[in-house]
Amino acid sequence: MASVINENKKGKWSGDLLLELYSNLLVEIWEIVSALIGETILELLFTLAIRRIGDKYPFLVSLKVSEDGVSLEGVKEACRGLPPLEVHRGFQSLITHLFHLFSTLAEGVISRELFPKVFQKVREAERIISQK
Amino acid sequence: MSVEIQEIVESAGVNLPNLFDFSSFGLLWKEGLLLYLYQEESCPPSLTQEVVKNMVRVFSALGEEQIDVDRVTVQVEKRKLRPKQMTMDPKATLKSHLTLPLAVEGDIMGCISLNSDQSNAFDAQDLQFFSVIGYQMAATLKHFQRFSSIQNIAIYDTLTDLYNRRYFEERLALEAQKSFYGGTSLSLVMVDIDHFKKVNDTFGHTEGDKVLCRISSLLKASVRKKDTVARYGGEEFFLILPEAGLEESFIIAERIRHLVENTSFDVGQAEINLTVSSGISNFPVHRASSKEELVKMADLALYDAKRGGRNRVCIYNVNQKK
Repeated sequence: MASVINENKKGKWSGDLLLELYSNLLVEIWEIVSALIGETILELLFTLAIRRIGDKYPFLVSLKVSEDGVSLEGVKEACRGLPPLEVHRGFQSLITHLFHLFSTLAEGVISRELFPKVFQKVREAERIISQK
Repeated sequence: MSVEIQEIVESAGVNLPNLFDFSSFGLLWKEGLLLYLYQEESCPPSLTQEVVKNMVRVFSALGEEQIDVDRVTVQVEKRKLRPKQMTMDPKATLKSHLTLPLAVEGDIMGCISLNSDQSNAFDAQDLQFFSVIGYQMAATLKHFQRFSSIQNIAIYDTLTDLYNRRYFEERLALEAQKSFYGGTSLSLVMVDIDHFKKVNDTFGHTEGDKVLCRISSLLKASVRKKDTVARYGGEEFFLILPEAGLEESFIIAERIRHLVENTSFDVGQAEINLTVSSGISNFPVHRASSKEELVKMADLALYDAKRGGRNRVCIYNVNQKK
């Protein structure tokens, strides 16, 4: 029983860290890409990506996207009880799909701006998961 | 709508070379799957094909629905976009592109694309400019689309898709003016479905509406391309037949009468047969001095057809009281 509590505590701790990290990462992606293609198109791409990846990772559907940006407000609740690895994989798939859409539209133009900043944060997320 | 899109593409094609170095600019419009390309004159057909395929691929990815390239209607406009000495290699291939969705209020209406035979032809600044242009185009196209749908509401009968009475009046005024001043022939045929009230009373208005739609299709299928078919009201229709003499308009009216008579109409669980009566008036034969008089003459001829036992075509009789 004690080990279960420990695991939960540990899991929640990692999950919160991950959420914070991905929240910052998505905000950063939003800021960089909206400056290139505008908020309307970006909102559309985020919505498409969430719909696509949300099939496999339903917690992502609670991400709120509007022309003002992306918010993880509802995601915390949706992630409750999920293993951090699942949360990490969900966000990773979402970001990969967004990159796929960006490169479909503008080949390397968006990725060139984005990749150096995003890559480090994805590595950081992987580090958090591996520590667990 | 296609005319407006074409105008936008041409206007963009004229202005874009001042901002970007590209081989081809394209606009793919979802409605009707139309793709307009504005290209450098020396652009080889193989590159055109690549651009088309790429735009369809990107649009499919955005719409999350696979679109068959063969379903897309491509229209190409070739212009000199580069200096004379810089013609494109006939073996040139698509090396880079910027493609953006045309999005308004969450709807993807199509996409626009800048394409080049050079690698890394576009940078972040190009993308910024292009996205601003894309916004403006999307807003303009949306405006055109709304205008076009309002225009449709104003001239079409919502049930039958035929022109409505208002359009009929306008069209007749135009055709009458052409005939009266140009001395060309103009015939008017007024068609009425015999005993239509019985259909409504027996089978209900929904079934009656289906009959109206079916007969409307028969009317549309029976006339020439330059003719106008309009629903005048209830079960009454008008055909405006420019440059048609009495003989020709009689043939058309008879064709309709025969077609309706030999058609079985499904109403509810039953199959019924119906007939139509028609009245014809003509300028200059009947010496009408106004479009109103021409309408009145067709109406009187129709009255004659009804009085004569229905399921017949009558030509206005100059001895009839107007």
